[in-house]
Amino acid sequence: MLSFIQSPTTPFKPLFNFKTLKPTKPHFSKPIQSVLQWNRKPQLAGETPRVVVITSGKGGVGKTTTTANVGLSLARFGFSVVAIDADVGLRNLDLLLGLENRVNYTVVEVLNGDCRLDQALVRDKRWSNFELLCISKPRSKLPLGFGGKALVWLVEALKSREEGSPDFIIIDCPAGIDAGFITAITPANEAVLVTTPDITSLRDADRVTGLLECDGIRDIKMMVNRVRTDMIKGEDMMSVLDVQEMLGLALLGVIPEDSEVIRSTNRGYPLVLNKPPTLAGLAFEQAAWRLVEQDSMKAVMMEEEPKKRGFFSFFGG
Amino acid sequence: MASIYTLQFNSLSFSHRLSSNLVKLRTEFDLCDGQLSFNRLSIARNFELRAVSSDGDHPVKTENVAVAGHSKRPVAKFHEIVSSLPHVAFVMKKNAGSSFAIGLFFATAFFVIVVGVYMSRKSRHSPPGSVADLVRRGQLRSDRRGISRPLKYEDPFNNPMVKVGKGNSTVEMCGKVYRLAPVTLTEQEQATHQKRRSRAYQWKRPTMFLKEGDSIPPDVDPDTIRWIPSNHPFATIASDIDEDLAQDNMYQKHGVPFRIQAEHEALQRKLEMLQSEQKLNKVVIDSSNAKDFERPFKFNQNSHEPAEQNPFNIQSGNSRPPKSDQAPNTVGSKSSSEELPKP
Repeated sequence: MLSFIQSPTTPFKPLFNFKTLKPTKPHFSKPIQSVLQWNRKPQLAGETPRVVVITSGKGGVGKTTTTANVGLSLARFGFSVVAIDADVGLRNLDLLLGLENRVNYTVVEVLNGDCRLDQALVRDKRWSNFELLCISKPRSKLPLGFGGKALVWLVEALKSREEGSPDFIIIDCPAGIDAGFITAITPANEAVLVTTPDITSLRDADRVTGLLECDGIRDIKMMVNRVRTDMIKGEDMMSVLDVQEMLGLALLGVIPEDSEVIRSTNRGYPLVLNKPPTLAGLAFEQAAWRLVEQDSMKAVMMEEEPKKRGFFSFFGG
Repeated sequence: MASIYTLQFNSLSFSHRLSSNLVKLRTEFDLCDGQLSFNRLSIARNFELRAVSSDGDHPVKTENVAVAGHSKRPVAKFHEIVSSLPHVAFVMKKNAGSSFAIGLFFATAFFVIVVGVYMSRKSRHSPPGSVADLVRRGQLRSDRRGISRPLKYEDPFNNPMVKVGKGNSTVEMCGKVYRLAPVTLTEQEQATHQKRRSRAYQWKRPTMFLKEGDSIPPDVDPDTIRWIPSNHPFATIASDIDEDLAQDNMYQKHGVPFRIQAEHEALQRKLEMLQSEQKLNKVVIDSSNAKDFERPFKFNQNSHEPAEQNPFNIQSGNSRPPKSDQAPNTVGSKSSSEELPKP
């Protein structure tokens, strides 16, 4: 869950037999070198604007949730962020951010000349360096002839803004590999692949990774969502290391299953703003941290340990 | 018997609380403590006297005199009353049982009311984000959703909820301790996976979108063509937007948006043309459309036209030719006029 300093690279050892998907206990020969990534601002790596597409093959794995939470985390870190909802038919990012009543114009209106780009950008009142842009209204049809081109123009237009180029342009990609996917990945330089630890999601994720690599996007990191350590311990769910073993991608983050996600979704209030912070919110925040620094996870949380009880614990202490 | 004991106990406790005046009075009544403890009625009378005596010395004195004047007869009457009453223990038992039942009834009723109120409040104030809360608020009234609770988690750089263990092999998050395992994926392994995928998936990003049934242009790679079904829910290949124009619109940073300006200019031209041709007062309006804009009552009040025209306007649908003509135009011209001051 946390960012960790690069540990000495260990030779690859298969952790489990692929046929059974039963994880074996890993051996810890070397101590894990890790530090917390708090108490400082993350250092922005790479050229701005960083155009990141958040995608997955399968639907319902948490792309939009990831976009909302990572985007707002980046804004809280002090970076200017433009989140683009490229889901043409089924857009939901505005709902997750609680901005659904403020979306009057979309990219389609900008292209038509009904409004300017700055009028279509919806600025979040909670964090003014976060802006939302929807690509079209739910019932309108997008002419696909220049859907990808339009996003490329959009990125160019955002680069040359008077108030400066945004640090991050995060594109929420629709599910599947249909026309919406093609539109969304067109301007992207890097990708975050969201997956859950089940085989259907993994197969789609592998396919999508292949398509992204064919398209020339080499910087692909994965985020494993809805992880349950109790099920991993009981060998009912693939561990994060198993998922990594199958996809061979660097880990950006591991998000535990959390009931707060549904509540925050319904409220239109992203998880990373909750106080006290939830486990999933912290994980999103750390993933955003690694995204800024172009880092990846070097250690993962495996299972919950029974908490050591103190001397006075039997007194209720 | 239990009730008698309690009664005696009560009388003792009362006697402790009796004022000096009252004790004095008792001696004048010739009532001993034993009698007091035996009969509850006498205690009640004593309390009545005490209540009078608390006001001051003078009323007590007068009361004492008054009582003392009939000291013989009241005692005899009192003895008669006592003898006529049923046994004290029986009465007290009966009273205690009924009062307990009444008390129990009131307590139960109170408890039921409290539980009912609590449940109704709980159902009304469902936690934010729950399904009941969504239903109660409804999606249409969702304008308050984003600000339902003020932002509290301000500082992402100082989080006490995360602690790393001493040996760096554990981490404590949100009060739970997790064991850490190192990531074992190497760059070599990543390269192997990339090679596998490059063999498995051959793909070119489509650059040409064609409707099913269209012919492929001669100089286009068939792999880069995406076939879009005609009934696709949100994608269409039909585009009435000029690409260069769309690009210009995207890059536009100041001024009136292209389409708004174009509409405004068209309307302006039309208006000028009409004015120049002096057709403004002779425009024929479709009666069915004009009805939509007709406001007879308001029109009557605000009309500056001669009164003889009004009945005609109300009766026929062709009222206010110039105004009904302007009505649809003013919407467009108003919105565009807001943008006008910009160059």
